[in-house]
Amino acid sequence: MSHLDHDRLVFLALGESEAAAGESAHLDTCELCRAELTTLRHVAGLGAETQGLGNLPDPPEHVWQGIVAEIRAAEELPALAERRAARPPAEPGPRVAAAPAVSRGGGRWRRWAVTAVTAAAAAAAGVLGTVTVLRSGESDPPQPAVLASAALSAYGQTPKEAAGDARVLGDNRLHLHVANLPEVPGYYEVWLIDPGTMKMFSVGTLSKGSGDELLPMPANVDLRTFSVVDISAEQYDNNTRHSGDSLLRGTLTS
Amino acid sequence: MTGVPRQPEPPGDDELAERFRAGEEAALREAYDRYGRAVLHLASTTLANRSDAEDVTQATFVAAWLGRETFDPTKGSLVGWLLGIGRRKVVDRIRAVARETRVVETVKQLPEPVPGGPDPDAVVDRLVVADELARLPDDQRRMLELAFYDDLTHQQIATVTGVPLGTVKSHIRRGMQSLKRRWEVDGVPPGPRPAGLPGTR
Repeated sequence: MSHLDHDRLVFLALGESEAAAGESAHLDTCELCRAELTTLRHVAGLGAETQGLGNLPDPPEHVWQGIVAEIRAAEELPALAERRAARPPAEPGPRVAAAPAVSRGGGRWRRWAVTAVTAAAAAAAGVLGTVTVLRSGESDPPQPAVLASAALSAYGQTPKEAAGDARVLGDNRLHLHVANLPEVPGYYEVWLIDPGTMKMFSVGTLSKGSGDELLPMPANVDLRTFSVVDISAEQYDNNTRHSGDSLLRGTLTS
Repeated sequence: MTGVPRQPEPPGDDELAERFRAGEEAALREAYDRYGRAVLHLASTTLANRSDAEDVTQATFVAAWLGRETFDPTKGSLVGWLLGIGRRKVVDRIRAVARETRVVETVKQLPEPVPGGPDPDAVVDRLVVADELARLPDDQRRMLELAFYDDLTHQQIATVTGVPLGTVKSHIRRGMQSLKRRWEVDGVPPGPRPAGLPGTR
């Protein structure tokens, strides 16, 4: 028997009709038709579970405020190269020329934030705080407190152009900037390691081989003990332990 | 079944995705207005703590914006990509919570964390299908909703709507085809899973 008509598969998947004897016999032997029917059944099942999803509530306004504030802060974090470049001693006066270089589009962000706040007329103190931070951005960019930082360099067989840096921010987050990580079949995972005992724990994963990521950190981590930041290549193998394949490492100093 | 040329984005969204990728700041707000609800739903149904869910929603859009150049419109839709980021953040969060409940020193012997809520993959799949359902032509959507939610047969749908049976069938067939294609593009594929969560599919 030839493959089942696609229409038939759709109707069978929806339970609209029963498979005739010949159809059942074909489905028993034809992997292609059976796989298609399985997929259609799965999709129909998902469809039945979508009720109400077209009508979800809006996120609270402070989520948007947080997005704007965090992006603004991230854009203020000097990139690796800029930070390593020699800088003139801090000049307290507004260095107008320098500000736009780091806060690209700052003016637009600020206007946004103000618009958003106007919309949220019942502005809470936190929201006002956000505006203040954003306002002050032009002449005096807000820098999140950095508790410790580490330059990350290629480890073992990793190509030497791979590099990065890690900064532990005061709000219990780890900011990672990485560049040129080699492509891996799985994904990248970030670890904090105690070099004395090689005890370690995972902080999170990186979605790409070049770029920035902010990861939440457990509170109360002793950074003097767990002082090594390690980025590993992990496989999709359902094994949560470190693969042993470290790509970058660096030691935190405060 | 596979290899069908795909057009994951309807026209209006293509343009939003393009502007988002190009770094146009207004596109972030538009993407948030359009998809923030879905991301929050993903986070709030899979995480026990409401403020964690809001944090994940926030982190998802921040990560998407900062990593916008990695979004590839040929591989899926903008909402599918956002939900993928949200899903990873949810999984990270679930693991972090599991970690926080244990003493740091025993972390190496961590067993697989047991997720408390629904499987994030299943929630992403539902949201993707719901998004596609909302984009279908009105007739197709209406017929499918009667079949899905009210469990009506095609004959009953024809009776209720006054639409000829043959037309009902063809709307449903086309609608199902679109849902399936979209799920194949943007849904979470079965198979190996990155996050150390037990598979539930």
